[in-house]
Amino acid sequence: MKRLYAPKTASRGIVTGKVYVKQEVNLEPCGDKIPEELVQAEVNRFLKTKEEVKAELEVLAEKNEIFGAHLMMADDFTLEEGVVSKIRVEYLNAELALSQTVEEIAAIFDMMDDAYMKERAADVKDVGKRFMANLKGVQAGDFSDIQEPVILVARDLFPSDTARLNLEYIKGFITQEGGVTSHVSIMAKGIGLPALVGVEGILEAVDNGTLLCMDASTGEIFVEPDEETLAEYRTKQQEYESWQKMLEQVSQLPAETTDGRRVSICGNVGNVEDVQNAVNHHVDGIGLFRSEFLYMESSHFPTEEEQFEVYRKAAELCPEELTIRTLDIGGDKELPYYEFDEEENPFLGWRAIRISLDMKEMFKTQLRAILRASAFGTIRIMFPMIISVEELRGAKAVLEECKAELAAEGIDFDAGIQAGMMIETPASVLMAEELAEEADFFSIGTNDLTQYLLAVDRGNKRISGMYNSFHPAVLRAIAKVIRAGHAAGIKVGMCGEFASDAKASVLLLGMGLDEFSMSSGEASNIRYTIRNLSYARAQEKAGKVQTCRTIEEVMGILG
Amino acid sequence: MVSKNVTVVNKSGIHARPASELAKVAMKCKSEVTIVAGDKRVNPKSVLNLMAAMIRCGTEITVECNGETEQEDLDTLVALIESGLGE
Repeated sequence: MKRLYAPKTASRGIVTGKVYVKQEVNLEPCGDKIPEELVQAEVNRFLKTKEEVKAELEVLAEKNEIFGAHLMMADDFTLEEGVVSKIRVEYLNAELALSQTVEEIAAIFDMMDDAYMKERAADVKDVGKRFMANLKGVQAGDFSDIQEPVILVARDLFPSDTARLNLEYIKGFITQEGGVTSHVSIMAKGIGLPALVGVEGILEAVDNGTLLCMDASTGEIFVEPDEETLAEYRTKQQEYESWQKMLEQVSQLPAETTDGRRVSICGNVGNVEDVQNAVNHHVDGIGLFRSEFLYMESSHFPTEEEQFEVYRKAAELCPEELTIRTLDIGGDKELPYYEFDEEENPFLGWRAIRISLDMKEMFKTQLRAILRASAFGTIRIMFPMIISVEELRGAKAVLEECKAELAAEGIDFDAGIQAGMMIETPASVLMAEELAEEADFFSIGTNDLTQYLLAVDRGNKRISGMYNSFHPAVLRAIAKVIRAGHAAGIKVGMCGEFASDAKASVLLLGMGLDEFSMSSGEASNIRYTIRNLSYARAQEKAGKVQTCRTIEEVMGILG
Repeated sequence: MVSKNVTVVNKSGIHARPASELAKVAMKCKSEVTIVAGDKRVNPKSVLNLMAAMIRCGTEITVECNGETEQEDLDTLVALIESGLGE
């Protein structure tokens, strides 16, 4: 038995099964120059391959738009001309001609001073790989021989791989490379299969048919487990599955404490698919709809019509309240079609509401789209990164302007739409009482708030250990904001990672938090936790924590 | 040969999606088609060439068609570019 450990969980779950290793194929060009009399045959071989590649892509393009773009490239005469002329003039064989042409085209895109265009170089290379696999007659990741349930092990998995998989036979994924935001992670989470990524040494440790236990929640992998481990994991798997079943039942019940305090458990989402996923998890609403994807996945500032369509779809999917946060870019998030100045301190720079207030037309486009969608559901608008009453007033003034325009144009919208704000800057915590009088709701963003309050960059490995939302300063800030909100009669929610921390739940509940918003996968867990807590006891604990001097004392009270 | 000047109205210029839209239509044209943007001459039947030319919003380009169906092709392409290439 051999034990491996994965530091990164992509998708939870426990499973035991036989390994299927994805065959890596060699896509390096081989061969050499060809004699003149074989030139026409070589050209024909390439043209035949082109038809094969196009046929493959046509099928894939029906399911995934990426492959539509690949199809255009495969059919492009620049590629064909490049390859054919290298065969005819330089007497290269088709593989060499292809590899050089693809490199040349990719280099043109790679040299462009534009992040979006640079990425197209990767698409060109991906198309090149498909040609090469067909030319060499090797099947890149053909999984048709999977005829029984397996755990799929690979160096990495790409969209073109997973499009070919028969998911009925896949029990789990392990990849040697890749991160938690990689394609396979997102897909595994979506379909609820366990996945571990970035597992060093997995390819050396297993072969086709090797028996393996994986616990994707703890990151443990046992290769060729002994009887004892197998039995232990069989029990664990059953426990995990019945726990999941129990959570599924709990997810349909209200998040109410044993003594009758009811809170909302909401979802954080990044696109329309996420909204559907959150609704499937029975959330009480969407506490954070990040609108960035509309801007980041586009080749231009999205138009009012494009945004309206997306917001309307989201509002129709989510019968409960849908909180749309206006554009939050800058910091570490950039746009492919807009050049941001280099900043020494991007997190303290031109970002979020600061950009929106400066680029008023762009801001108005977004607000008009949200307002129009508000006729189709219960939408709330949320402004990010507010540091002052002036900013909140400024944003609300633009909103009023948009409302007046729409009213004059005779377009429907929810005239009573709520406009609230994120609390994520120390200034907004200190000004919470005043801000609460002018905002319709608060939502605490603990990720940025912790980082700004403690002056700790959590991306910095040397000090990331100091980043801790249980720091008494952070807890006092949260309590102050909730008190200020309630004094002004508005609801206070939280949409940072802290809201899904089961240990923090008791404190947040005790402080009076009204809404816990998190990624949908965590919702049932926190709902279960809340249902087993007493509000009175939670209030007691929250009170005690307010006088704590150290993180250690806080953890002592939480037990 | 016939030709006509037209201004690109797409906000981000002839980027990936508009480029494929243009290439798709250009490929159906039987005449020889060239797009002139500044000192660049591009064959719009290639999406790769179009994208590589990086034609920005507001650029005035000339569409040239040469062949039997030149007038018909020119009209189709100019109308398509003026309409914002499907965006």
